[in-house]
Amino acid sequence: MGWRFVLRRCGDDLFSIPVSSPVEAQGLAEQLRASGDWLDVVPGIDSVVVRFDATRLDAAGAQRVIEASLKAGIEPLRGCDELIEIPVVYGGEFGPDLENLCNDIGMTPAEFIALHTGKEYTVDMVGFTPGFAFIGGLDKRLRIPRRAEPRLRVEAGSVGIADGRTGLYAMASPGGWTLVGRTPHRLFDASAETPFALRAGMRVRFRAIDTSEWGE
Amino acid sequence: MSIAVLKPGLQTTIQSRPRVGMRHLGVPAGGAADPLSLALANRLVGNAWDEAALEATLLGPTLRFDSPCTFALAGAHATPTLNGKEVFMHRAVAAAAGDELVIGSATVGARVYVAVGGGFGADDVLGSTSTNLQAGFGGLEGRALAAGDELHFAAGPGRECETPEEFRPPMSSSWAVRVCASVETEQLAATSREQLFGTNWTISRRADRMGLQLDGPGLNVSSDGRMPSAGVFPGTVQCPEDGAPYLLSVDAGTVGGYPRIAQVARVDRHLLGQLRPGDHLRLLLRDPDEAVEALHAKFDYWRAWLPEVEEILL
Repeated sequence: MGWRFVLRRCGDDLFSIPVSSPVEAQGLAEQLRASGDWLDVVPGIDSVVVRFDATRLDAAGAQRVIEASLKAGIEPLRGCDELIEIPVVYGGEFGPDLENLCNDIGMTPAEFIALHTGKEYTVDMVGFTPGFAFIGGLDKRLRIPRRAEPRLRVEAGSVGIADGRTGLYAMASPGGWTLVGRTPHRLFDASAETPFALRAGMRVRFRAIDTSEWGE
Repeated sequence: MSIAVLKPGLQTTIQSRPRVGMRHLGVPAGGAADPLSLALANRLVGNAWDEAALEATLLGPTLRFDSPCTFALAGAHATPTLNGKEVFMHRAVAAAAGDELVIGSATVGARVYVAVGGGFGADDVLGSTSTNLQAGFGGLEGRALAAGDELHFAAGPGRECETPEEFRPPMSSSWAVRVCASVETEQLAATSREQLFGTNWTISRRADRMGLQLDGPGLNVSSDGRMPSAGVFPGTVQCPEDGAPYLLSVDAGTVGGYPRIAQVARVDRHLLGQLRPGDHLRLLLRDPDEAVEALHAKFDYWRAWLPEVEEILL
């Protein structure tokens, strides 16, 4: 057990628990959520942060619940069988950064699209803005950092890449990912029983479409 | 029963309770930026503390009552008028059809809450009627009020009462909030740590429901700016590469990639909604258990007027 597993109080009502991967974070979050002791359980890329209500559970009690869960062992989130296909219009006005990106990494847009649509991915986590999906497993050749200057507005459905992941904007927001395309697939529906189309552990495949298929 | 919006003000939204337990879906807490003032306004008109009310920012709206109602104002200092005559904050007021309410500018503090007996009708999305401006849902079509809008409300009981002097939260242009160390506080250079907790910070122009940038000395944080995204909350102080601390507020995103250098304690989080550009702010470093003690003391004080204070200051 290295330092990474040291439970950390990070506020009067917050604990941060370091873990080693997004699937561990998701798995631990699910374990913790099952106890019903928390106001919020937020898995990240390599941590889980929980918020507890000091009027119902004191810090020592919260720590005991977390430690019991850690002692029982973290069951990493298993990928679900469900595979969701996300149609994407790559490049052009929907993917305004694609051309520059391809110049930078020495690839044609067609090669990029073949690479991006050529494999299956997993949703690592959802967060930042409502329904925003961090999708892991991007090809090493496509690893670029976030833009130095984030955009003030990125449209809903936008598909971006950064830091080895694909990001899907469920709704319009500011954003710093390099935009390669956009999907007409509805990622958020407030009136649906599950309002967000994507959740952690889901398998994802991208399929290139052209603008004529946008409305279908 | 309706109210016409004649002038919307700078940014007036419908707010009620926060959305709790949805941060893992990326859904921010939201809700009134100053939930204590929301509760105070609602109590005066006989509503539940978390009934949908208007949250007016800096410059409030001008409204015309198209049906009689009881309303009440709480929060930032302002000099509102009803048909040109001054109306008092912290008091339930009966309005007749045709009456015009001008909220005007907040002079001290940032946000005025307008409650009406029965509460405003609003879109209920993901468990709350609070407006989320970024995502565009809740409240009135997920947006701020605009001139020409018609707001609906249910006929409420309404009652004539006022908030006792000792339960009117003091407003100021110089604030102090208790904070605890956070996950990456140690990444601050020693001198920067002293500056963080010793500086009288100034709230910058970049101040809204998502967060407040603090102007002051630049901080040195030993980070390559590539921290893996991790959970953040209202009250988290982040330090981006430019060294200017950014204090997250109610609508902040749920994960972030900047070092978390401090966390405003639950006891003082409701104050963030009243900070305005130019205000001064001190971050008082406290042990987490001390902060919890202070929270219980605040609960004990407020329970006499707001029995639900534990839920209000969640």
